[in-house]
Amino acid sequence: MGAPLRKSHRLLHRAPSAGLPAELRAHLSPARELLDSPSGQEELFASGLPALDRLLAGGLPRGMLVELRGRQGSGRFSLVLALLAAATARGEAAALIDLGGQLDPERATACGADLSRLLWVHPHTTREALAAAEIALAGALPLVVLELGLPPIPGGRGAEAAWLRLARAARGHRGALLVSAPYRASGTAAAEVLAARPLQGEWHGAGPAPRLLRGLALAVEREKSRRHPQPETVELVLRAAGWEAMAADPATAERRRRPLSLAGRVTTPFPRPSPPSAGKRREPPAHFSRLLASPLSSARGPAGAARP
Amino acid sequence: MRVACLAVPLFPLAARLRSEPELLAEAVAVVAGNGPTARVVVASRRARQRGLRPGATLPQARALLPHLLTRPRDPECERAAQEALLEVAERFSPRVEDGGEGEVYLEVSGCEHHFRDEHPEAALARALLAAAQREGLPARAGVAGSKLAARVAAGLTPSPRIVPPGEEALFLAPLPLSRLTPELELAETLHRWGIGSIGELARLPAAEVASRLGEAGQQLHARARGLDPQPLVARVPPPDFREGMSLEWPLTSLEPFLFLARTSLGRLCRRLDGQGLGCARLEVSLRLEPDGFCERSITLPAPSRDVKTLLTLVRLDLERDPPGAPVGGFTFAARPDRPRGSQLTLFGPREVPPDRLATTLARLFALLGPERAGTPAVPDGHRPERFALVEFAPPPPPRERPAPAAGRGLLQVRVLRPPVPLEVLVEAGRDGAETPVEVRPAPGEEAGRLAIDGRVRVASGPWELEEGWWRGEPVAREYWDVELEGSGIYRIYRDRERGDWFADGVYD
Repeated sequence: MGAPLRKSHRLLHRAPSAGLPAELRAHLSPARELLDSPSGQEELFASGLPALDRLLAGGLPRGMLVELRGRQGSGRFSLVLALLAAATARGEAAALIDLGGQLDPERATACGADLSRLLWVHPHTTREALAAAEIALAGALPLVVLELGLPPIPGGRGAEAAWLRLARAARGHRGALLVSAPYRASGTAAAEVLAARPLQGEWHGAGPAPRLLRGLALAVEREKSRRHPQPETVELVLRAAGWEAMAADPATAERRRRPLSLAGRVTTPFPRPSPPSAGKRREPPAHFSRLLASPLSSARGPAGAARP
Repeated sequence: MRVACLAVPLFPLAARLRSEPELLAEAVAVVAGNGPTARVVVASRRARQRGLRPGATLPQARALLPHLLTRPRDPECERAAQEALLEVAERFSPRVEDGGEGEVYLEVSGCEHHFRDEHPEAALARALLAAAQREGLPARAGVAGSKLAARVAAGLTPSPRIVPPGEEALFLAPLPLSRLTPELELAETLHRWGIGSIGELARLPAAEVASRLGEAGQQLHARARGLDPQPLVARVPPPDFREGMSLEWPLTSLEPFLFLARTSLGRLCRRLDGQGLGCARLEVSLRLEPDGFCERSITLPAPSRDVKTLLTLVRLDLERDPPGAPVGGFTFAARPDRPRGSQLTLFGPREVPPDRLATTLARLFALLGPERAGTPAVPDGHRPERFALVEFAPPPPPRERPAPAAGRGLLQVRVLRPPVPLEVLVEAGRDGAETPVEVRPAPGEEAGRLAIDGRVRVASGPWELEEGWWRGEPVAREYWDVELEGSGIYRIYRDRERGDWFADGVYD
């Protein structure tokens, strides 16, 4: 009687991965560790953009205030929408506190967002926006994005105490909180800070108009992170709506060329660009071609590395 | 069958003090009638100690107690207190009868098994009294084999009083006949016969009593022997919950009203909580001075019993549509519904609990107004700035979390609402087509808005847009995508009707 009991006792205390192949053992974790870890894979909100997710170590974490700053035209709003689109497409509810009401619902849908899961709030001042974000976090919404719009921010940056209170609300309610601001606003409350800056707008076509907006290249730098203190910069390309479809289907490129950047009704003949020829066509800059060649993005070294 | 009776002594006063607990330590009297003809119905212990008795006129009461606080009988308070008493009883037994005027009967056969005590019925009665006390109603309880014996037992002190099974007649025998509340004529006859206690009446031959006193006497004799012909008739639970009160002085401002409304809504939510229900719709009835009523109905996004949420919705509704006259009384009626819990899941995203969502939306509406929070929608049309807001009601999340998909990485446009007026310098090309070459803020543009200024590095356009001419609201624009040197990429347009330039979007 005693021997079998001692044997089962030994089995219980053996490492669970013992006897498994090495490749499987690498993927196993004890249940106790899973319980203790505050941010498993399920706890992260990935954007679907590999470069941004790399900076965020897999995605936006719950229980933290993450700030994304960038001046107008830096691609900051596109990154915010990518995060919201990825979260709502996975079935999560999310809130966008949009100071200034700058969302275009049609483009958000094109981006892949499930609008039925998105709570869109229009505050008029920073104070209202902070209060609305706190209410949304207290309402158990798993992802809250506070978009402070373009400079100057109406109502200023907000009080430091209000940001600390907001960070505490995110931690208390285990909500993911992203603050998107044209300049640093949340002060010491931010656990992570990303900075976006535009590299160059890319256009298709030569000479004066007509040209087509092809996309925007931008760089995103991790300025501060409690999880990964090492600074890092990535570059990525955001493609203009319509260009993606046209590039994917060259046969219909000519037909689709008109309504690329606007879903409007075109009533006058569009002055067509000269047909591409080897002599006249202007190739995109070298670094842009390199970015396009890689899947949407490429990583760079630490901040301060010289741009080619 | 074992029956418990829960009775609230001095019920009109207890109901009033439940609504105004700050009067508990005062000398208070509830009066009926108006002016000098008003008479005291019931008085508090402090007033009774000073000699005030029911039936005294108001001037007599004032002579005894110059600082006596008087309140008229309030049917709303009494009705709400009676409902609360019934709900207390329903927490213990499914078979409850409304005895009226602060009395409730409940069948407790079998309920004693829930109480591990040497005397389980006594423990049950004590729990009943404690539950009533939590509702602000000081009650007494009695348990016996019939409604009559239970009621008589509930009227005795100390409380609770338990009558052992089969000993109802023995329990009633020494008590005075007035405990059976006989009719006045019958009581006088029995008094003349020298019958003073219930036991003396019970010892008389039943047939002789019936032949001399008729059917009423026969029934009284049966009751004296502990026989209660009236069975317990369980009531059907009321479909709605009401709380309210009549105000001594009409209110003309919102804050005092909300102060009183908070306590009423708190009581309402406690009652809903006791039944495991939430408020799906709140109906507010305001009695206006000098006459008239103002009725309004507030529908909640999801059943809730959160006092702050209900109070916020009441505040919003009154601010949006004031009653227009002083308020002399109010009633809140809750249409109950089962609160919807969020569906737990092992593999899918967690659902936002509907009651918390309702609270969130109500708080956002209170902060910003209902027109500034909701789900974005795309109305028909082509103008880029168009949008609509609909009610935020997210569908249930998928049962399994979908695999992360690669993002499209689309460049988004911030829509500038309203558009920013501009001054644009254009240059004519060889074919006569004009192209923007420089952009400046329009003269007289207000300071503090987005500054769009610079030479155009690249321009793409024109993209023409026409719509609304069939509705009489024509929109005709020429759009350009322009990249300014050292600034960013903007979407600007020229209004073809007026020739003015605007920026309505920033590629960001």
